[in-house]
Amino acid sequence: MDQARAEKLWELHHELERGRLSRRQFIRMATALGVSLTAAEALAGCQKATPAPTTAPTQAQAVATTAPQPTSAQPAPTAAPTQAPPAAAEPKEGYMLRFDGYRCTGCLLCAVTCAEKWQAELFPEQTKDVVNLEFSRIRPMRFQYVDVVNVCNYCKLEEWAEGTKEAPCMSVCPQKAIKFVPKGEGKPGYTGYGYKTVDRDLCLGLDACGRCLEACEQQFGSGISFDPIEHKAQVCTMCGGDPACVKVCPEPEALQFVPVVVNGRSFAFQPEAYAELLYMKMFNVRRDL
Amino acid sequence: MAALKGVWGKIARVDLSTGNVTVVEPPEEVYRKYLGGEALGLYYLFKEGIVDPSVDPLGPQNMIQLLVGPTNGVGANARSVIVTKSAYNFLCVTTSGGRGAAELKFAGWDGIQIVGKAPKPVYIAIIDDKIEIRDASHVWGKGTEEAEMILQKEVLSPLEQRESILRSADMPEKWAALHPAAKKGIGAKRLAAVWLIGPGGEKQVWYASVMTEGARAHGRYGAGAIFGSKNLKGIVVRGTKGQPLADKARFLELTRAIQSSEKGDYGWRSYGTARIGYAHSNASSDFPIRNWQWEAWADPHTVMALSGPFMDVASFVRKQSCPGCAMHCLYPVETTSADPLMDRTISDMPDWEAMGMVGGNLGYLEMPGATPDDPFTGTHFDRAEALAKTQYTTFIHDNYGIDFIEGGALLALLMELRQRDLITPADLDGIDLQWGDVHAVDAIVKKIVARQGIGDVLARGTYETAKYFAEKKGKPEIMDYSMTCHRYAQPAHGVRANACGNAMSYLVAIRPTEHTSGSRIPFNRGDVDAAIAAENVQAFNNSLVICSFAAGHWTGKTVDLVKAATGWEDFQEAEIGKVGERAYALGRLFNLYCQGIKDPKKEWDCPEMVPAKRWFSEPLPAGPHKGKMAYDGDMDKVFNQLLPEYWKKRGWTEDKGIPTAEKLKELGIDDVAEAIAAQLR
Repeated sequence: MDQARAEKLWELHHELERGRLSRRQFIRMATALGVSLTAAEALAGCQKATPAPTTAPTQAQAVATTAPQPTSAQPAPTAAPTQAPPAAAEPKEGYMLRFDGYRCTGCLLCAVTCAEKWQAELFPEQTKDVVNLEFSRIRPMRFQYVDVVNVCNYCKLEEWAEGTKEAPCMSVCPQKAIKFVPKGEGKPGYTGYGYKTVDRDLCLGLDACGRCLEACEQQFGSGISFDPIEHKAQVCTMCGGDPACVKVCPEPEALQFVPVVVNGRSFAFQPEAYAELLYMKMFNVRRDL
Repeated sequence: MAALKGVWGKIARVDLSTGNVTVVEPPEEVYRKYLGGEALGLYYLFKEGIVDPSVDPLGPQNMIQLLVGPTNGVGANARSVIVTKSAYNFLCVTTSGGRGAAELKFAGWDGIQIVGKAPKPVYIAIIDDKIEIRDASHVWGKGTEEAEMILQKEVLSPLEQRESILRSADMPEKWAALHPAAKKGIGAKRLAAVWLIGPGGEKQVWYASVMTEGARAHGRYGAGAIFGSKNLKGIVVRGTKGQPLADKARFLELTRAIQSSEKGDYGWRSYGTARIGYAHSNASSDFPIRNWQWEAWADPHTVMALSGPFMDVASFVRKQSCPGCAMHCLYPVETTSADPLMDRTISDMPDWEAMGMVGGNLGYLEMPGATPDDPFTGTHFDRAEALAKTQYTTFIHDNYGIDFIEGGALLALLMELRQRDLITPADLDGIDLQWGDVHAVDAIVKKIVARQGIGDVLARGTYETAKYFAEKKGKPEIMDYSMTCHRYAQPAHGVRANACGNAMSYLVAIRPTEHTSGSRIPFNRGDVDAAIAAENVQAFNNSLVICSFAAGHWTGKTVDLVKAATGWEDFQEAEIGKVGERAYALGRLFNLYCQGIKDPKKEWDCPEMVPAKRWFSEPLPAGPHKGKMAYDGDMDKVFNQLLPEYWKKRGWTEDKGIPTAEKLKELGIDDVAEAIAAQLR
């Protein structure tokens, strides 16, 4: 079993322990991840006041017996995880993604991870044998010697001046398809701090609309993209409070999930304009990109 | 046939003469045999007849191919490779990092082949299936850095651009009153990758490179000159299809394991190749100094300017990765100098080859009037100036789009000829090229890329320049200072100290005088079998196409990654060697046949092939390896013992080094190679 599926399993288990998933739901989802029915039942049974240290080996065992057989004679290079599960992420209210232009190397691991997460969630059939970065909501862009990580900054308009405190993209959406899910609501697995999401049933897509991105690009950044299959809007949900991109980033503190007061528009900037500023900051030269 | 995975089974073929774009669909067995990259490119050089001596490298008939391999895309450490007939009329296989390899795969292509010649400057825009030949007159003549940023803007995917539909009425009234809709539409994303040439390539300087991301180069063998000969400024690619994978979960799992392993590789993660010069090359007498007259400084303080820590604190600004790599070996820098010519130059590092070839080799490190034998009397500020000179020379080569290995060897040749009074400033249009003079270097490089005056001669590289002056001056000894082998510059790795293996490596690699063939260490120990195996692995890596810096992190995972990408369950470890062997057999035949070398026994008697005289007949003047020469000066051992042994062990004829009919058959490449091999045997 790979790391991602193992982590997903732990997330499910966590949900089960918190009572957000029924035992039946847990078993169904765990078996979908490749865990045998027996193992899933065993795992589900463990929730009953079994102390965590005992659950870890049980899970590792289950993983080992249900992992797909290696196809070569070589042992699988990444052994099934045997360590204790990562501590459950606590809700992180007021947190946001910030990148550090000095530390980020532009390696794209964040985008690959984000893309894989969303394509598997939205189009599992169409994307079962492809990895496509177009599904990623976070896109590092390279301007030769500087890299700019482009992602939604969670801007809010100023009510006293601009008439609303909605996000600009939400405000111009004719369908009200971009929504802010309040704290404590939303889908399982998300840690409960509010997040932005797109109701794909309502979104008209770029072919008919695209006002959200147009408004974003004109005055803020370029925080929205469109999926390559239905051309509907995609926006960073910050994984509901525990972003996968931050966890996969190989560079210490290059991409962080940190408290940013309330209004992300302090940080929103068009990629190219930001790159020009980074040139001034980092290299003491002006480059007109 | 089930759809291929890992690769798309499609190569775009663009004829710039007619403007036609067609699709080449290599069958699965071709991918299985050649994989991609280097080996696949060689296959097409034979299949399309580019190997024929009648094909002029700089003529419209020549075909230039930019190829990737099955793991490129979201796999780790992707590189692209250019395969063509070099401006020097031998094999050109040249690789580069950067985002282009992944982006080309995402666009649905395993490569692009370009033939013909455009009537006026053009660039090729690839947006998934759509390939357009567009006017490039607005970027023709511009440096690679400026032109790249212009071209990148011009290529957006359909989902990144749209006319404006947002109106003020769509916005809350107060907001619209403050900032009404600007009616600019959408178009701020910048995700395209660009390969392009600079003025050097446009003027067909033989050692012009194809650049990407400012400092990354398909640097060797003059691929940029071939672009220029076709009036092709660049290729811009934006792909939105992703990478097809047979077993995605397994592929990502293995890729993550490689990346985790790379995360612990703090040699690369601290200084990249900048850690080599001071700490290793000088200590082991392997450093090009003043056209290889020395290979170590008596006082290591002289070369501290090119140490990792010094460069880091003096000028590194940040670090950059290729896609999917956690080693980030490239460090963008800002130069600090008291000299306005160099101050505030933005460049990279320099990396090891640049430190050697346009650093020590140009006499930039010693204090004025001092030689490499003298103690260093300067301060950190003097070191910073030496570093600035190296960085500035790196920058002009990158920005003009020329290779600083061949370029550094050429400049060092001219400087040594000047030192020995074999040429005068009048021979260089009045430029007095003295050791360490960066302004003179700047002036001469400008002449070369403009092909102005003497620059037109120099643009043909080190060996041809030596030949020109030897004839002009009636002094054949000038050839002794041409630090070349196969008519091509020796990179920044010495052969005389304890590194004789490099000499064999340079002689036998199918990419002439290549420093990355992997065979140096086994040849050092005299282990020919291991050297062949290492060459095969490297040729395989160049077909996959992955980075040799990261290859160690792939060990034990490579076969599984190919399997996970392609779904070829029967792909075996042994195939790694086979792909490499195929590349080597084809490369050997290509180099002999296109140059018209009919009797390879005499290859080494032929003046064009003779390696630099210094290797075998001039002992190192100083340092811990003082007095040493390559193979103790025993050329006979190299050419009459080691070479035939190497050829024989490769399954090639012992007398001429031609792959035998049986070998070609065993490798399954007799269909494209046997006719030519038979002629050569």
